[in-house]
Amino acid sequence: MPIMDLSALLRASGESDDALARREIAREHLASYSMPTGREEVWRYVDLDFALGDFELAPPPGADTPPTEDEATDASARAQIVDGAVVAAAARADGLRCERVAGGEESLVPADMDIFTAAHDAFCSEWVEIAVDKGKAIELPVVVDVSALSSAASFPGVRVDVADGAELTIAIRLDSADDVAALVVPHIEGRVGANANLTVVVDQEWGRQTKAIGQLVFSVGRDSSIQLAEAGLGGALARWQLNIKLAGQGSNAQVIGAYFGDRDQTLDYRYVMHHAAPNTHSTMFLKGAVEDEAGSIFTGMIRIDEEAQRTDAFQTNRNLILSDGASSQSVPNLEILANDVKCGHASTVGQLDPEQRYYLMSRGLDPMRADRLQVRGFFQEALNRFPVPEMVEPLRERFYQKYLDAQAGGRV
Amino acid sequence: MSNALEIRDLRAGIGDLEILKGVDLEIPFGEIHALMGPNGSGKSTLSHALMGKPEFTASGSVLLDGTELLGRPVDERARLGLFEAFQYPVEVPGVSLDEFVAELADAAGNGSFQERVATATAELGMERFIDRPINEGLSGGEKKRSEMFQMAIALPKVAVLDEIDSGLDVDAVREVAGLVERARSDALGVLLITHYSRILNYMEPDRIHVMIDGRIVRSGGPEVAAELEATGYETLRAELGLVPERDPLLDLP
Repeated sequence: MPIMDLSALLRASGESDDALARREIAREHLASYSMPTGREEVWRYVDLDFALGDFELAPPPGADTPPTEDEATDASARAQIVDGAVVAAAARADGLRCERVAGGEESLVPADMDIFTAAHDAFCSEWVEIAVDKGKAIELPVVVDVSALSSAASFPGVRVDVADGAELTIAIRLDSADDVAALVVPHIEGRVGANANLTVVVDQEWGRQTKAIGQLVFSVGRDSSIQLAEAGLGGALARWQLNIKLAGQGSNAQVIGAYFGDRDQTLDYRYVMHHAAPNTHSTMFLKGAVEDEAGSIFTGMIRIDEEAQRTDAFQTNRNLILSDGASSQSVPNLEILANDVKCGHASTVGQLDPEQRYYLMSRGLDPMRADRLQVRGFFQEALNRFPVPEMVEPLRERFYQKYLDAQAGGRV
Repeated sequence: MSNALEIRDLRAGIGDLEILKGVDLEIPFGEIHALMGPNGSGKSTLSHALMGKPEFTASGSVLLDGTELLGRPVDERARLGLFEAFQYPVEVPGVSLDEFVAELADAAGNGSFQERVATATAELGMERFIDRPINEGLSGGEKKRSEMFQMAIALPKVAVLDEIDSGLDVDAVREVAGLVERARSDALGVLLITHYSRILNYMEPDRIHVMIDGRIVRSGGPEVAAELEATGYETLRAELGLVPERDPLLDLP
């Protein structure tokens, strides 16, 4: 199925005529975009060795793709997106909605950012919409599984609405099998009302051949907070553009990340923290490692609007290069228009510390064990900050296992 | 009693810079020896050369219970029974002491290790900070206590305690001295490296050695410390006719 012709598919998903008309325009627009060249600031350091047109649009998952077993008895809601289609969505808590909705509505992500957002606008046919009622604190997390089964392009969408005074936690897992050469463009977006709290944990485990170009976009209201943590382990190329707008006075955001690229993976983070109101507070804390020929990119931007006085913002990005062929870019940026703010950044790219290795070896650990411990500790500093403690132990093991594999393969 | 540690004509340095210029030292099992000396005399170089820190070169001979240590990697020396308590214990962010101990236990692979850990944890009151990252955010005294704890579980034949009294207030010095004395055993030889005689007031070293300019220039009983306390290193240097040398650190690249 050619990527530019799918009106039938869109109609089947139940879109209104208005939405379809808008989408027609979106598709026409798409034709005017070209692939990023790497000269654009937001695409620097990343080499896109494919074109959107290389991919066909993923066909709808067949009826023989049943939702995976609902194992999560400890979830307040569950949703599942396969190849961009919502195959399951149900809530089981009062005051919480979790459902499939037809696409074609306005998104927080501007369609005209680049060819991928334009394509998402044109092709995302359905979203998982999660909404929590005013004043409701939902104790158990909402669990969302996003997966790719076919080696094709898909455009998953997850939209969250946290009403005033409400609290919600969402755990999102993204994965595909290693032989699935998919292009996935996931958009995860949300609005947080006043006095509300949203926690999002993203567990990114795309298969070795999957390319993912994703958006994480949130707007946070007055006296509200968001915690967003991402663990990036998978993908041939896995990219997130994050934009958190602290739109309401006294709002705050905590962004945490841990990522580990091996072999020829590229992990690409473009994070923007936008302080648009006074007395807002934010931290970003990301730690990543690369081995063999893997590359990582972190560009962090703290943008403080003129009216966002008394902002307190800090970003930290620490990178560990474990092999000579691996590379890591860490680029902090500040754009400050207000004059009464506290703002800073810390950014490092380095190798394992020989003093730590010596100390650990002096207690009898061989160099492999000593380095393992050091790497474990490196990630632990980020993982210990993850907001959903139950998710941390398995992640800790996966990061550790990835390093063990690198040692066993003689790559570090 | 046989020697826990025998050092013969040990020359050590960094690159072309020779810092130890022929050190001879014997520590029998069961004894505690103190090594004193001014800053820059080579005391810490001795401890790193014994442990095999990669940037140090060393020649001569170092026998631990009869086994040559020179030429062996750091971890092997440790497993043969050498323990170094660091003057500046290294922070290992994100790794708690109990995780470290678990890794050591896994590497050691024997049952008696766990018993030693339990005993040492209780005896040294480690419960308070065993779940905290190694040496991170610890007070000077807590760091030294943590080093002594690790020594207790390592059960070494030779312990080199490098300025274990540095940066401690008087109560903490007394406490650390007590821990060293408690560790005294017929299966252990201790080399306690110190700049000040203060810690020696709280313990009973068998021998005291004085190092100046990379050589041991005087060895004797506890009276050596008292002498030094009264006269200072410069007097001893003058007495021995030693010309003060340029600070060797000035020659580092």
